[in-house]
Amino acid sequence: MIPANPILKADDLSKRYEDGVLALDHLNLSVRAGEVYCLLGANGAGKTTTINLFLNFIPPTTGTCFINGIDVTKDPLEAKKHVAFVSENVMLYGNFTARQNLDFFAKLGGKSGLTRNDYYRVMRRVSLQEKAFEQRVKNFSKGMRQKLGISIAIIKDAPAILLDEPTSGLDPKAAEEFQEILSELKNEGKAILMSTHDIFRAKDIGDRVGIMKEGRLVMERTREELQTGDLVKIYIDYMKSEPLAV
Amino acid sequence: MLNTIVKKEALETIVSYRFPLFALICLLLIPLGMSVNQADYGKRVRDYQEQVRLADAAAAALKIQDVMAGTVAIKGFRRPAPLSVFTQGFESTLPRYYEFTQDGFKPGESVGGGESILSVQGQVDFVFLVQMVVSLIALLFASDMISGEKEAGTLRAMLSNRLPRDTLLAGKIGGGFLALWIPFLFAFLIGAALLLLGAFPLFGGDTPARVATIFLASSFFVLTYFVIGIAVSASTAKARTSLVAILILWAAFQLIIPKMSDMAARLIHPVRTETEISLQKSLLVRSLDLETAKELGRQYDLIFGGASPGTADDEKSPERKKWDPIRDGIQQRAREQKSRQLAAIDETYLQEKRRQLNLALNLSLVSPSAAFARFSADVCGTGELERGKYLDAVRSHQNTLETELFSKVKRTLMIHGGGGTSMSFTAMPVDTSKLPKFAITPASLAETFKADGRSIFSLAFWLIVPFGFAYFKFVKYDVR
Repeated sequence: MIPANPILKADDLSKRYEDGVLALDHLNLSVRAGEVYCLLGANGAGKTTTINLFLNFIPPTTGTCFINGIDVTKDPLEAKKHVAFVSENVMLYGNFTARQNLDFFAKLGGKSGLTRNDYYRVMRRVSLQEKAFEQRVKNFSKGMRQKLGISIAIIKDAPAILLDEPTSGLDPKAAEEFQEILSELKNEGKAILMSTHDIFRAKDIGDRVGIMKEGRLVMERTREELQTGDLVKIYIDYMKSEPLAV
Repeated sequence: MLNTIVKKEALETIVSYRFPLFALICLLLIPLGMSVNQADYGKRVRDYQEQVRLADAAAAALKIQDVMAGTVAIKGFRRPAPLSVFTQGFESTLPRYYEFTQDGFKPGESVGGGESILSVQGQVDFVFLVQMVVSLIALLFASDMISGEKEAGTLRAMLSNRLPRDTLLAGKIGGGFLALWIPFLFAFLIGAALLLLGAFPLFGGDTPARVATIFLASSFFVLTYFVIGIAVSASTAKARTSLVAILILWAAFQLIIPKMSDMAARLIHPVRTETEISLQKSLLVRSLDLETAKELGRQYDLIFGGASPGTADDEKSPERKKWDPIRDGIQQRAREQKSRQLAAIDETYLQEKRRQLNLALNLSLVSPSAAFARFSADVCGTGELERGKYLDAVRSHQNTLETELFSKVKRTLMIHGGGGTSMSFTAMPVDTSKLPKFAITPASLAETFKADGRSIFSLAFWLIVPFGFAYFKFVKYDVR
């Protein structure tokens, strides 16, 4: 049973960049606690712009986004307390060890007083190898970095998680492990907004799937609706369709 | 939150491959520079003491006839500045002594006479190392502190948290600078310890305050460069672009602006050479002496023309009683006129030089490096201020010697109507061993701060403005 109040909400959200490009066009979407929302779309469809707006990395041209009921534009710092972010290429400090990275980002996330064991526990939970805990991350594989990235999100323990193409470039095993962790987080009641190109994973994990094209959300289907439809065909049909009228 | 950022930045700097190199450069070059300069200073002090001893002995043996003949010059030596171990400044270019004669003073040789061509690039002293090496390293460390994180994407990761951008900026400056400052502090302390081991007078007079000022000014200067680096880093998207921009800025601040300022000032306010001035003064003296000699001869001929031989030597004769005050009056007027006109030439020359120097200085203060070098040299007693004080002391000593020694000797040259010349000398007794010693009154620290207000302002400007710029660029930056 999904509660009614959305944790993540985009309300008539638009973004036009200084060069005139309309990256996002009146987007409305919401993600509730315990729900995974997958945003599908081609490159430049507006998925990353949506995430950037939720994180107040860029200001919206119109509209508002809310995290846990807090207006991101009005009170970005307070809003960021309630969200964790994992990017496509998890960016970490190469000269720091996995634990040092985790410690730094945990403190940024407002978690203090954590012990070495607390960090180890989280890293074990995401199945990061024990020997890697105290190794510098500059030699980590993409899968290991992704695990550490999700550890950072877990340790922050925010009600909302934004994932920007998290499985891109992962091998099938690592992607599968990643999906399992997401399922656990969903079951813990996290509201997860994930942008992805991976239609199959979106169908597997998404409670709702939205397809974006040229900055607009052109389709939204629930898990139940997708059981009867072919998501791949729907996606390709949308991508092949005529450009949208401005 | 600020603490977390400061610690992270410090740690990140320390674990980078650049840090051991920087620490090594600091810990090796700074103490070594101080040590070598101390040995050099010790040598110069010994030279100075020996020369002063010889000059004092010569002054004690000085006969008034030597002064009358103008064959012996009295020398005034400048004591080497102890704090030249931190910055050489003008130390090697200032004359070691001035010679004082009846006709004025002239500079002796400088210390730098025997140095190699390599020394024209600047002496490797503490201030030089800070100005040229540490500043560049500070810029390089700061160059990718923001642009590197933009490029790597870690800035997105950080800013996805409840982290105000001004806190992040302050933390980056604080942490990054702290990591640089600690080895710098250690290198300075090791250098100071080596000075103490070498019996350097580090605790005499206001030396501790001056040494502390030099260190604080150096730290402030390094911070200034670090903040400039951060400002460049905040306004570029790629670390490589920052690096190029930073190298251009460094070259402009260190080399182009100071040199161009000097060249521009020379073009805008040209100044005659010292030789030209000296020639002008000689011509004036010769012309005035000639006029005086002619006037004296004319008056002498008028008074003694019809008198019997020997009257001029008879102090009681009425002609002699008339002649003495007339002669004294002519000589007095001539002295005053000479002194006035020579002073006018000196003053005009000084004004020209001052105008050129001020322009060069004001233009060069566009560069924080020039401001730092000027201030440090003044604090160490090897800068512009010391040069001025030295010249003031020389002028003052010349005036003293004029009163105490040279005025005791009178030369009377006369050119008579028929073209014949005659000369007579009169001298009053002088105890040359009691002549006042040449001494320079050093500028106090307060005086130095007052005189270097513009340099301090320039340094403060280059700290505040880049910080403001970095803040503006960073706060307004769209993270993509």
